[in-house]
Amino acid sequence: MQRRGFLHAGLGAGLSLALPGCRQLSHLGIPLTVLHPGMAEGHRLRDGAPLPAPSREIRTGIVILGSGVAGLTAAWRLAKEGVDDFLLVNGPEPDGNAAGGRFDSPSGALAYPRGAHYLPLPSPESTTVRELLAELGIIEANPFSARPRFAETALVHAPDERLFFDGAWHDGLLPTEHVGADEAAQHRRFLAEMARLTHTRGNDGRRLFCVPLVQSSADPAWRALDATPFRDWLSASGYTSPSLRTYLDYVCRDEYGAGPERISAWAGLHYFASRGGKAENAPDGALLTWPDGLAFLARGLRRRVPATRQMAGHALRISETGRGVDVLGMDAAGPFLIRARKAICAMPLHVAARRVPHIRDYGFDPAAHLPPQAPWLVANFLLDGFPPEPAEQPLAWDNVIHGSSGLGWVVATHQLIRAARPAHTVFTAYRALAEHTPAEARRWLEHASADELFALASVDLERHYGELELWRRTRAIEITVRGHGMASPVCGSLANPGLAALREADGRLLFAHADLSGYSVFEEASFWGDRAARLAAKH
Amino acid sequence: MPEPVQTTSRPEALPDRLLILSVFVVASCGLAYELIAGALSSYLLGDSVLQFSSIIGCYLFAMGVGSHLSKYVKDEDVLARFIDIELLVGLIGGVSATLLFLLFAWMSAPFRSVLYALVFALGVLVGMEIPLVMRVLNGRKAVFSELVSRVLTFDYLGALAVSLLFPLVLAPKLGLSRTGFLFGMANAAVALWTLWHYRLEIPRLRSRLTRGLLVMAFLGCGLLLSENLTRWAERGLFGDETIFATTTPYQRLVVTRWKDDTRLYINGNLQFSSRDEHRYHEALVHPALQSMPWAKSVLVLGGGDGLAVREVLRHANVQHVTLVDLDPAMTGLFSRNDYLVGLNGGSLKDARVTVINADAGQWLETNTDAFDLIIADFPDPSSFGLGKLYSVPIYRLMAKHLSDNGALVVQSTSPWFAPRSYWCIDTTLREAGFRTHPYHAYVPSFGEWGFNLATMRAAFTPPTRYSIPTRFLDAETTRLMFQFPPDMQPLPVEPNRLNSQRLVHYFEQDWGNVIR
Repeated sequence: MQRRGFLHAGLGAGLSLALPGCRQLSHLGIPLTVLHPGMAEGHRLRDGAPLPAPSREIRTGIVILGSGVAGLTAAWRLAKEGVDDFLLVNGPEPDGNAAGGRFDSPSGALAYPRGAHYLPLPSPESTTVRELLAELGIIEANPFSARPRFAETALVHAPDERLFFDGAWHDGLLPTEHVGADEAAQHRRFLAEMARLTHTRGNDGRRLFCVPLVQSSADPAWRALDATPFRDWLSASGYTSPSLRTYLDYVCRDEYGAGPERISAWAGLHYFASRGGKAENAPDGALLTWPDGLAFLARGLRRRVPATRQMAGHALRISETGRGVDVLGMDAAGPFLIRARKAICAMPLHVAARRVPHIRDYGFDPAAHLPPQAPWLVANFLLDGFPPEPAEQPLAWDNVIHGSSGLGWVVATHQLIRAARPAHTVFTAYRALAEHTPAEARRWLEHASADELFALASVDLERHYGELELWRRTRAIEITVRGHGMASPVCGSLANPGLAALREADGRLLFAHADLSGYSVFEEASFWGDRAARLAAKH
Repeated sequence: MPEPVQTTSRPEALPDRLLILSVFVVASCGLAYELIAGALSSYLLGDSVLQFSSIIGCYLFAMGVGSHLSKYVKDEDVLARFIDIELLVGLIGGVSATLLFLLFAWMSAPFRSVLYALVFALGVLVGMEIPLVMRVLNGRKAVFSELVSRVLTFDYLGALAVSLLFPLVLAPKLGLSRTGFLFGMANAAVALWTLWHYRLEIPRLRSRLTRGLLVMAFLGCGLLLSENLTRWAERGLFGDETIFATTTPYQRLVVTRWKDDTRLYINGNLQFSSRDEHRYHEALVHPALQSMPWAKSVLVLGGGDGLAVREVLRHANVQHVTLVDLDPAMTGLFSRNDYLVGLNGGSLKDARVTVINADAGQWLETNTDAFDLIIADFPDPSSFGLGKLYSVPIYRLMAKHLSDNGALVVQSTSPWFAPRSYWCIDTTLREAGFRTHPYHAYVPSFGEWGFNLATMRAAFTPPTRYSIPTRFLDAETTRLMFQFPPDMQPLPVEPNRLNSQRLVHYFEQDWGNVIR
């Protein structure tokens, strides 16, 4: 039976490569699900669908629109502050980029990420994140000290990462030990410079690069790097080593969804010099992860918000009235109107731009100020057992192929403590569509066939394990298409006056989203969510 | 040398027809070796496209080399050389699959080199066959066009036959090893048959005949015995007669027996020898249980052989034992096989014992029961997966499953052969909040072996007497067990954290230093 399935799958894989436009996958008995979270709702509004008249009215004190990390953090903060007059409207993408999924494998349910999958040790400035982690038991002791103690089960277990370089796997993601002396010297100089910048303060006494980003130094000498592409800064600084540049290209696409030719030098450096989080019981630079990635944190936040304060549905129009904010929304029961004293707009800015018709009044002109949104694919492969690996370099949590257009894959079962390897596992492959402009890539994505999406998402897995091995083991595939996956901090992002204006908003309508920082990480989203909740609760 | 009087294109002369027939066989064999090498390397190395392409490429190129070399064979030697080559092809081709299997099992490093060397050698020899046959026939003044047509027709027919037979019948029914021997014998048969029919033309007939018969007999033995190859190989590895062997989804279990010594191997690693297992299991169980006469419930993690449970059950105060072992085949074997049940005294079928087949890590996460004693009898931390079962979080988790004055005993590898690993486990237990009482015992089949008794609160003093009869333990032995001589003193090592997995690295280095 196995042999037959193998041949069958192999044949199909061959065909699908030969005829990429065809819908082959359903013929192979491998179910492929493609998710477009938020797309239908978003496009309906974009395409000018008429607004319905509300059939019911809901009154609340503070309404939070959107339940990604910013919205969830805002709700968590309000609940924690004892505010009981608020309502969290989930929006079309519950948990946003921190969403997770679950496969029913023959050996039990397996959780996996549909978006972000890890959190670095929180920086000294990330107090909201530290408070949350302590509440969830992930920080076990001294949450606000220089070196908190973290739950070991959540720190990425060894072996954490490996790189396929020059025909073999190596520890780490930068192949310093496997390149010539000149290149290795550049690697070391680069890392030393980044380590130095982590501790460097600007003329205002603040660290040059901080998470949250708004706490970074305003020193104009450094902020000028916002105007220079990271690539140009690297060349000007003598960082020409091909292996280093390939690594940095990977880092930019992985972190920001765009390559170093578009990312600003300030953002490129920010990635390396902003974190500085430390742990009592882990080396610097350690990461936290869970089987379904940041969905663990989203769940933890949601659990702390009373179920009665959460509702499904999404906003269609947000308008300010003399007394507060009116939100026209839609859920399964039909259109509704929420009358609130205040609203926290916790949705991505490209969505907010269409929900808040008067957003220009805040100094944000969507035509000029919307940060570019990088399209992403997150593909989850449910596998029968594990493909073979070289004995000396076993499968790591994060597996990256040097120079690939893919961003590698993480293993959802890596953090399990088991005597035997699980009978089934999930590999999550990431892909930022950085080689096209975001608009082109989105147009392509909207019409891409399941096979085309599969070919794009599986590039690393197929290349490493071979089509036959991958197809033989794959039981199910789920591809999450995130057309507007994250804001990319391209040149000018730091100085974007529209973002600065929305960050300052302190009226009846508040904005909370990682987009306000111009790039997408959990810490920024929770920072803005926390801040908005505190402002909303204050008055 | 008698020569056929008249040569025509008619296939009247039987020897010539025989030669044509041998072309068919020879071609079949040639393709068979190529397919065997391709299939074998695909099975063993993966990436079948690469393996088949490179093997076929190497083989065809070598055949070209063979064809080229065939011109150096003198006209008068052609028939004799053909026979020599057939024997050599039969011998090399016949053993190729088996040789590669064994090589792969025992030392993987030279596998690829040997594989391609074998394929190349076979290719060169097979490449000489057809040119030599043609020259033999040509020497018999066959019409050239007829000759070429007939030889190549049968050459390709032979290839067709094998290309269909190999995947449909031979590989699935006979397996690669036996298929190899079978085709080797076909080559040898062609050699012998040719030898016999041209016996008047062949120099040194007797020695060639002897050689041919020897090769034939050797390959015949190979064909008959290759079925037992795995068992032989295992016997070679384990030394004794295998009385039971099975491959489960989790591991390969082999039970061997030599006189009164029964041994269990998991994945080739010795788990116990019936001659001295009492030392290991008495040391694992009794120091703890003797000091806890109040203990009622015991959890054994791993230890599906039921031998630790056997020792636990000897304490009458123990009312309930829970055994959590991954592999139902293991606990099934030690519950049903009469001989093995004799070894563990039927412990797994005792009314006080509950056997649970589950992953210990998962079971500890989901179960909420508390136990007076937990015995962690896991395999040595030789992989990142197993290393997690010796980590700070798993020990903290075990602590949650202990009753107020409960104790934990951990099998901790050898403090002599793997000292850093041993003391790393001790350090890890202390990091998890336990007070540790390391001890060791000499188990002849293992060498000096280590354990760790850990408690959260209760003080522990090694027992000075045992209320049950013991074969190994007494007051003096126990006292010495808890003392570490100067050459086995604690080492400063890091605890085994999940994000560093120091223990797996220590274990690898420690055993790497031991000449085994």
